[in-house]
Amino acid sequence: MAAIVAFMLFGLGILVLVLRRDLVIKLLALGLVNAASILFFVSIGDRPGARAPIQLPGEIAVLADPLPQALVLSAIVVNFAILALALVFVMILVERYHTTDSTRIEQEIAREIDEEETPCP
Amino acid sequence: MNKRRIRTILAVGIIATFATLVALTFVSNYPVPADSQQYLARPLGETGASNRVAGIYLNYRLLDTLLEVLVFSVAVLGVRHYLQQSEGMSLPALSESEVVQTAVGFLSPLALLLCTFFAIFGHISPGGGFAAGVIAASGLLYMAIAHGMKAMEARLNPDRLALAEKATLLILLAFVLSPVAIGRVPLTDLLPKGTPGQLLSGGSILIYNILIAMKVFVGAWAVIAVFAQHRGEL
Amino acid sequence: MIARWILLALLPVVAGIALTQSRRLSAIIGMGLFSFILAAVYVLMHAPDVAITEATIGAALVTAIYVLAIRRTGRLIVVADEVPSLMAREGDHITGLEYEILEGFAREIGLDLSVRFVPLRRVRWLIAHHEADMGAGGIIHLADVEGSLCATPAHLTTAVYAFPTGKTPIEPPDNAPDYEGYFSELASHCQNGTLSTVATSLDLARVLALGRTGASLGELDRVDGAFGYAFLVAKRRTELQKDYVDYLHRLRASGRLDDMIGRYFS
Repeated sequence: MAAIVAFMLFGLGILVLVLRRDLVIKLLALGLVNAASILFFVSIGDRPGARAPIQLPGEIAVLADPLPQALVLSAIVVNFAILALALVFVMILVERYHTTDSTRIEQEIAREIDEEETPCP
Repeated sequence: MNKRRIRTILAVGIIATFATLVALTFVSNYPVPADSQQYLARPLGETGASNRVAGIYLNYRLLDTLLEVLVFSVAVLGVRHYLQQSEGMSLPALSESEVVQTAVGFLSPLALLLCTFFAIFGHISPGGGFAAGVIAASGLLYMAIAHGMKAMEARLNPDRLALAEKATLLILLAFVLSPVAIGRVPLTDLLPKGTPGQLLSGGSILIYNILIAMKVFVGAWAVIAVFAQHRGEL
Repeated sequence: MIARWILLALLPVVAGIALTQSRRLSAIIGMGLFSFILAAVYVLMHAPDVAITEATIGAALVTAIYVLAIRRTGRLIVVADEVPSLMAREGDHITGLEYEILEGFAREIGLDLSVRFVPLRRVRWLIAHHEADMGAGGIIHLADVEGSLCATPAHLTTAVYAFPTGKTPIEPPDNAPDYEGYFSELASHCQNGTLSTVATSLDLARVLALGRTGASLGELDRVDGAFGYAFLVAKRRTELQKDYVDYLHRLRASGRLDDMIGRYFS
């Protein structure tokens, strides 16, 4: 159940990433893709009737699998690191081209390259 | 039909098909990985941490976590480097209304308390160093919102914080490498494991949690401060 | 179990609504909400560690960083030469007709106004190189403005005075107020006798301002023709131009522009 939702979110994220042209929205969609994969991992670890993986000595209970959870903790932090850097790059782009529209930025860059390649008279 | 619409429909179709296929493959019968069961099968005394996630995170798979801290540090470094190249527009710092200031006076100590709790009890209950550090940094963010960024910078010297960040990272690395001094493999946990569930248990996990909390606190605050400066006002 | 299903079903809905917003701030806050719901789902899926980390990093820190970054892009940067009663500093804040117009315009299109004072010759360069959005401060659009810039419709008519050739038309006073940019430049060029390299004419607001500082003005010849103060915008910022033309039109139609002009020039 949760895995299906995770894949739906993943698809939605990729879709927005491809279709919307605002760079900030693209970054948000990238975050959504990340969240979807985290949700999938957590859903793997969950089992019916399980408890949170916190155990006292001598206690015997069905626990949720701790390994996917431990792996996913890194993913959240790394996602934040990537996001902060990507935002900085978006800010630099905006400072230079005054737009967050990816298509317009591409056009501007193409125009700049054209200008550079025009030979001096 | 214009070109853009065709492209949109194509993208939707391809991604939907792909996602459905992958989802069906996984959902129908994904095998429970045999390796991961081993961690639960191992005795609790091996790590001494009653939080099994913390046990994996900071004992069995400590190298992963260290590299994660490194990635975080590199990101902080990158944010600082790239944003300091472009000059920020420094406008006078704004401070918020009295309502916000009073609320912050109540929330910030709470955030710092939560940070301490999560860092110290990370091996017994849910929590851990990363969450603790980020909570403390957001506590400072509340204060920055209420009193303005200038006042925060007057209180917390950014240079000294940058130094503290590097020092914490070095201490962390030195602690990890310290078993080499007595001829053991690095990353070995030398401290006694104790009784799981007690505060002093879990070997080095407590120390790692506190160090990571400090490191992440300073790093996250540095990122917030740089972003706030480049917005100019907070 | 029901709680988990409800929250799980909410996730795609919230994400879908958030990511289809046209305003970036709404999208960011929507994704913050999404992160909170996700954290709740993690708790219900017996992953409290992941839930705490997601709530602190995903919902709090990431949202804060986005909001901080967004405000920087939401700014109308104006570079201006300092001209009293059009755009000038008065203590901590800025006053003047052009400042009032631009402030209203920035509020109208949902941006924060940020003014930087630079010498007049830098104004054109900064706009042409996309360092700023608009140029202000007693700018008169003449036909020979560089190719990549264009002027907005004039908001105030004015007159232009030309310097007679061969004479030093302005004697700057010894204790002139410290206007940065144009005036200090003008004064130094007057003293060096190199005035013609920076300016061949002066507009009414600057003549008045110079007169107010106590400078002795020599003979100035009024130039024939209709002149008006305008703002400079880069040619390719067509949306900004269109927004501004609309705003100016409404300002004039409502009579508020005449009120403002009356307050500063009466």
